[in-house]
Amino acid sequence: MWSVLDSTRDDHVDGIISWFDYIASRPDDILEATWAHAKITLTVIVVATVFSVLLGVFVQRRPALRAFALSVSGIFLTIPSLALFALFIPIVGTGNEPAMYALFLYAILPILRNTVTGLDSVPPAVVESAKGMGMGTLRQLARIRLPLAWPIIMAGIRISTLITVGIAAIAVLVGGDGLGTYIQSGLTRLGLPNSLESVWTGTAFTVLLGLVLDAALAGFQRVTTSKGLRM
Amino acid sequence: MSQLTPAQARLGDHGTTTDGREPEGSLPPDLEAPHEPGWLTRARRKHLGLKTAPLGILGLAGLVFWYYQSLNLAESKVQIASPLAWGTKLWPQTVEHLTIAFWSTVLVVVVAIPLGIALTRPPLRRFGPTIVAVANSGQALPAYGLLILFLSMLGQGLRTVVVALVLYALLPVLRNTMVGLDAVERSVIEAGRGMGMTRWQVLTRIELPLAVPVILAGVRVAMILNIGMATLAYLIGGGGLGVTIAVGLKLQQDAVLVIGASIVAIVALTFDWLGALAETYLRPKGV
Amino acid sequence: MSQDAKIRLDHVQKKYLGSKAPAVDSLTLEVPEGEILVLVGPSGCGKSTTLRLINRMIEPTGGRIFLDEEDVTTVDPDHLRRRIGYVIQQIGLFPHQTIAQNIATVPKMLKWDKARIAERVDELLSVVGLDPEVYRGRYPSELSGGQAQRVGVARALGADPEIMLMDEPFGAIDPITRDRLQNEFLRVQETLRKTIVFVTHDIDEAIKMGDRIAILGEQSHIRQIDTPERILAFPVDDFVRDFIGSGSTLKGLHFEIVDDNVELDPYPTMTVDSTAAEGLALARAAHADWVLLLDASHRPLRWVPVDELEAGGPVTAESGTEVLAKVSLGATLFQALEQMLVSSAAVACVVREDGSYHGVVRLTYLNRVIRQARREAREHYERLEAMA
Repeated sequence: MWSVLDSTRDDHVDGIISWFDYIASRPDDILEATWAHAKITLTVIVVATVFSVLLGVFVQRRPALRAFALSVSGIFLTIPSLALFALFIPIVGTGNEPAMYALFLYAILPILRNTVTGLDSVPPAVVESAKGMGMGTLRQLARIRLPLAWPIIMAGIRISTLITVGIAAIAVLVGGDGLGTYIQSGLTRLGLPNSLESVWTGTAFTVLLGLVLDAALAGFQRVTTSKGLRM
Repeated sequence: MSQLTPAQARLGDHGTTTDGREPEGSLPPDLEAPHEPGWLTRARRKHLGLKTAPLGILGLAGLVFWYYQSLNLAESKVQIASPLAWGTKLWPQTVEHLTIAFWSTVLVVVVAIPLGIALTRPPLRRFGPTIVAVANSGQALPAYGLLILFLSMLGQGLRTVVVALVLYALLPVLRNTMVGLDAVERSVIEAGRGMGMTRWQVLTRIELPLAVPVILAGVRVAMILNIGMATLAYLIGGGGLGVTIAVGLKLQQDAVLVIGASIVAIVALTFDWLGALAETYLRPKGV
Repeated sequence: MSQDAKIRLDHVQKKYLGSKAPAVDSLTLEVPEGEILVLVGPSGCGKSTTLRLINRMIEPTGGRIFLDEEDVTTVDPDHLRRRIGYVIQQIGLFPHQTIAQNIATVPKMLKWDKARIAERVDELLSVVGLDPEVYRGRYPSELSGGQAQRVGVARALGADPEIMLMDEPFGAIDPITRDRLQNEFLRVQETLRKTIVFVTHDIDEAIKMGDRIAILGEQSHIRQIDTPERILAFPVDDFVRDFIGSGSTLKGLHFEIVDDNVELDPYPTMTVDSTAAEGLALARAAHADWVLLLDASHRPLRWVPVDELEAGGPVTAESGTEVLAKVSLGATLFQALEQMLVSSAAVACVVREDGSYHGVVRLTYLNRVIRQARREAREHYERLEAMA
């Protein structure tokens, strides 16, 4: 990082200009890789959200199961990504698939944990009064508990999305696509023209994708959260 | 730290750890605890991790060892035997792996905790929320790209890996230091100041000890991130257990792949458990 | 300016940057040694700010603060605070330290030796009514709200400060425990004689705790500062009258103790062994409509009406009506009034400790007491005005 500072100012300007040139010369390719990256992420997040929220609702008031589910999903997050990707190769082969299975396992914990803490945070008095008015268990869940827990659940979904976007860049190492391809092609040609531009593209667009998805989810959270819970 | 403490909410943070354990609610000691349903108390008390984890890890290690033995390396083909040689490949790689993770974690602690303290003091305090917000979106930063960029700047080798890792793992510790310090009850600080403690005394005797659990959780996350990132060190000639995984991928040898990945997983799980132990035993009493 | 003020605020002002009106505007105040001065006022009047100006948790922007006539406006605030006990509503016990360590905080900073600190901790725990053996090693999370507040007071007393500042110390505690803590604190104060500034928004707590009360309006302007008795008897303006609320005159009766200073009317009494005729004679002589019947050990038994005595016959423990309104010597006139109201009598019997008859208090007397208190307070203020 510091060696960049050693170089002259012109070098920077040149570097930035050549990077813009690089991007301008292949917008379709980059967009395609970004879309592939987004597809991996969104598929994983949708599946993980449905799975984790349902699981969270199921285990929230069952202490033993809850501890078990949280521990196991915590273990997944502990295992280094390349290792977890690699462990799926003997089962599903190379490509996007091993990456997506692994990313799914990573995405569970933040959503699951926020689902149970979100449900925990619903004031017992509110549930009690819902029950007292004759709401059934399912109706309490759909009308009261999940809506009240929603901001916290959404926070979990957003964390999972950011993590998934970042880690999905490694999918290329197990034969997948996405923006990681730009990083890899830069690495293999390091020293040759456009190699660094390629790495920058892969890295920057990954972060950018993360920010865009996070902003989109923030908007979604706003729309789907009761006005009474917004401050 | 999954619970949204007011401080976290204030800093726009929703907290992440790789930790499946329950958040520890820090109820203000001066007020009566809000009524909590029994199942929640029971859920908090359940810590599957600490006691059963070593058994699970040992079981996993046993399984890998059994698989390793069953490969019968002496008689198997060179594509398997060579990368899986314990004395010349796997063991040195494990040592390398841990060396990388160790130094980057130490550096992260040395840099991030003082920085976090500085950013919660009055003159810099207003930058806190911004930094935490950046730290949060920083989670989308691809470790892969970061490593290669540092490679292009600093060249190959361990030093490059450690610098890249420090930058990558700085954020959780920084964020948790700030959140932990911010979560200390105002009334406790007020009481300390009211008794004539200096700002330094309040920081060292009250704020930091009370923030220890949160800071430790951040350090544990950083350590696990570092162990994970060290798997990618092979990409820039930094060695580590990633080498074996990469060889397995290149030679399309599932056995090599699985053993390399399993050892990494066992190392990570072991250190996560050690981290959990540290969190339990270094936590100040009474908190 | 009297020279024996323990705490003296001289035109103290606090103005926050960017706000036009000062939060505390030119406050001048004196607290003599050993007094509890209660600052009371509606929320937002600046009473807490005023308190925190004294130990400079908030730095004043004008005026001077004197402790023992020493100007402490610019001394090192940390050293200043170690001389002043400070109790806040949220208590702020250090959760990672034991009760003993909490109480030892200031003595440790003052570098007391270990043995002296340990001794002091045990002494203070006993003072606040907690068994040192049991509580010394506990952590704050193991205490109830009331216990935590006792420890908070003990911690503030740590290095035996001469001055205590208390900011709604009993505010977050349930009413029953609060009442008990208030009583205990007053009992402790009787021996310690600390100089205390006490902030509350509860006028009843102020009346109970204060030797003097300062009723503060906006920007900490003192609307009235005086003894609780005089404030209750003579609120100087509508603000104070509204604040102390209706029924304040009756509250004044809390301060009048039934003792020999109280005008106790004699009343015709007869014992169970006397005859109706004797009783009738006594009643006629005293122009009374009733005679009080006492038992053998002179305890009030029944009120016997004159017409029942006129009818003749034996006077027994079933004659007349039961004596319900009874107060002991040492009770307050308010309690006497309460007794009269619940038994719908205009008279309450005063009894000695052994239950024997001492005299009676009449409703008309209470009426006179109230009117006299108001008159005295008014005259007091008129004198003050005349002097000024």
